[in-house]
Amino acid sequence: MNLLEVKNLDIDYVTKEGNLKVVRDVSFTLKQGESVGLVGESGCGKTTLAKTIMRLLPDNGVISGGEINYKGENIVTKNKEEIRKLRLNEIAMISQSAMNSLNPVYTVGEQIIEGIRSHTNMSKKEAIKRAEEVFAIIGLEKKRLKSYPHQMSGGMKQRAIIAMALSLNPSLIIADEPTTALDVVVQDKILSQITEIQKQTKSSMIFITHDISIISELCETIIVMYGGKIMEKSSSKVFFKAPYHPYSLGLQNAFPSILDIDKGDLISIPGAPPNLMGELKGCRFKERCPFRTDKCMEELPELKEIGEDHQIACHYPERVDEFREESKKKETWQMVSDRIINESKGDA
Amino acid sequence: MLNYIARRVGIMLLMIILVSTMIFFLFRAMPGDPTAFVVDPSMAPEARQVLIERYGLDGSLWDQYKVFIKDLVKFDLGNSFFYGRPVMKIITDRIPATLILMLTGMIIAYGIGVFGGALMAWKRGHKLESAGITIALIFRSAPTFWVALMSIILFSVNLKWFPAQGMRTSGYTGETFKEIFMNLDFLKHLILPSVVAGLYFIATPLLIMRNSMLEVLSEDYIEMARAKGLRENRILYKHAARNALLPVVTAGALFLGSAIGGMVLLETVFSWPGLGREIVQAVTRHDYPLAQGAFIIMSSLMMIMNLVADILYAVLDPRISYR
Ligand SMILES: Nc1ncnc2c1ncn2[C@@H]1O[C@H](COP(=O)(O)OP(=O)(O)OP(=O)(O)O)[C@@H](O)[C@H]1O
Ligand SMILES: [Mg+2]
Repeated sequence: MNLLEVKNLDIDYVTKEGNLKVVRDVSFTLKQGESVGLVGESGCGKTTLAKTIMRLLPDNGVISGGEINYKGENIVTKNKEEIRKLRLNEIAMISQSAMNSLNPVYTVGEQIIEGIRSHTNMSKKEAIKRAEEVFAIIGLEKKRLKSYPHQMSGGMKQRAIIAMALSLNPSLIIADEPTTALDVVVQDKILSQITEIQKQTKSSMIFITHDISIISELCETIIVMYGGKIMEKSSSKVFFKAPYHPYSLGLQNAFPSILDIDKGDLISIPGAPPNLMGELKGCRFKERCPFRTDKCMEELPELKEIGEDHQIACHYPERVDEFREESKKKETWQMVSDRIINESKGDA
Repeated sequence: MLNYIARRVGIMLLMIILVSTMIFFLFRAMPGDPTAFVVDPSMAPEARQVLIERYGLDGSLWDQYKVFIKDLVKFDLGNSFFYGRPVMKIITDRIPATLILMLTGMIIAYGIGVFGGALMAWKRGHKLESAGITIALIFRSAPTFWVALMSIILFSVNLKWFPAQGMRTSGYTGETFKEIFMNLDFLKHLILPSVVAGLYFIATPLLIMRNSMLEVLSEDYIEMARAKGLRENRILYKHAARNALLPVVTAGALFLGSAIGGMVLLETVFSWPGLGREIVQAVTRHDYPLAQGAFIIMSSLMMIMNLVADILYAVLDPRISYR
């Protein structure tokens, strides 16, 4: 059975200027023990999606459609107390801002114990013991439990948050850029710790990052998001050998570590993410896609199966060889850049 | 921690001496016969001479200052012209009344203000929020004496619920602290002025608590508390309100100054026999030693309360180091 099944999920932020259609028609599944990497440009809705799975959206965020089935039960329709019981115990989050996620007026230990005790009827002593255990797993001395957050380094705080997330052996861990604020060495260490633990406890993981090279190491599956929609979903093995979607091809260019070509300069995708506020027509990637056609301007491509466990949202999966070839060339993206400049002139 | 407190007390004592010095010279800077600030002009000449020598009034200002400081260290603030008794004695008699009134007002204001402010932020956008802000601001901006008078007219004169003035029914006498303050009669007299004081004070804790709460509620650790699956009540009290309290404590310390100013007005309107009213009377009676002493004691009181607030803050916020 699937641990998590997200079906046609729509999420909006209600703002004064109108509704921001931040996530649209997102569907994916996650098996027990599977880890999926979620990538995409800043603002494409990764954190929003992650928070929604924990029902942690801010007040102005609404789930306007779809289902999130966790262990067969729809989280969207659960009441507050049911959700509360799921958090930490079943689904734990290592948030993007872990640095500030600890309350400055309590010791780290108090905060971890508080979490443990709000879901179990452990005594304080037992909870402390459990906290010491998870601290040992994540490589923190147990005397650190008595430290206040301001007495710890960023890496320690990050570890403490991870320890907290692991304290009740959750079935699903959502890690939202858990190591962005750390230096590369610490980052590597922590990442390998997270995955090791995840493998040991057989929990599933949703791993959000900007660095797709990390995903190739950590996750079995990759989901590429753009403008609130899934563009491509694939096993990472397949993806890193041969991505399909033009956006994925563009992303691949921007990350040298997974590239087999050594052209020196990185090619980035020109332009900016779409505005999700007004009426949205056609493919989300149309403004920046080098291969767009009239159809792309009008018609939103559905997510289609193109291979085993491999889906993309593009009208032209059959042209992939051509796309791959062209996308390696600088001129292709230069053309997009020129086109964007021309279009903005036309608007003005 | 103890070290920190000791150091702060030391600094405070120094400040008190400094402020006393300023008050001393301010009084001497007033035009007129300098002896008149210390020695009652209506005294017999022989008695005056004794006192003039005692206070070094025939010497320089510097000599007088030395005598003043020496006395101050011994808690001797001279004799009141009006009462003919030591200023220190009169003031210590008056202080409990002022402190009780002020603290009751503060407790009312902070009790309601902190909880109300927290609730207003928690239930953002609720009608309660704008109503609370409006009421608090009305009582802050309305002249205190006017509010006091109106409350007397309504609750004492018309409804006859509470006595209009004073601290006890006339005819009642008491000597010890217990006899004076620990009885129903005193409580009845206390309610009206302390509620008015509370209403005057309430805007500060209420609005600051609300703002600080709103700020805290958007902090990442609140989201984390939710993600941990804590119950809403626990998030509200243990995480949000607990942290939002910090600026309220700081603001409370700063607010004490104006609070004491407000007490002078309230005590006068309610004929409350406290230090505030005594100051006003001392000034109108040209009772300089008493006025001077009262100013010194009042500013010392303020500094002490400030210190208490600082220590409280240090206890509440582990990030403050006691160095
Ligand atoms: N509370 C909110 N109200 C309105 N808009 C919001 C709110 N929170 C986020 N947004 C907007 O929603 C979009 C998606 O935000 P989200 O945080 O999910 O992006 P992200 O993919 O996690 O980005 P990043 O990689 O920078 O973390 C952004 O355009 C953001 O400005
Ligand atoms: Mg994010």
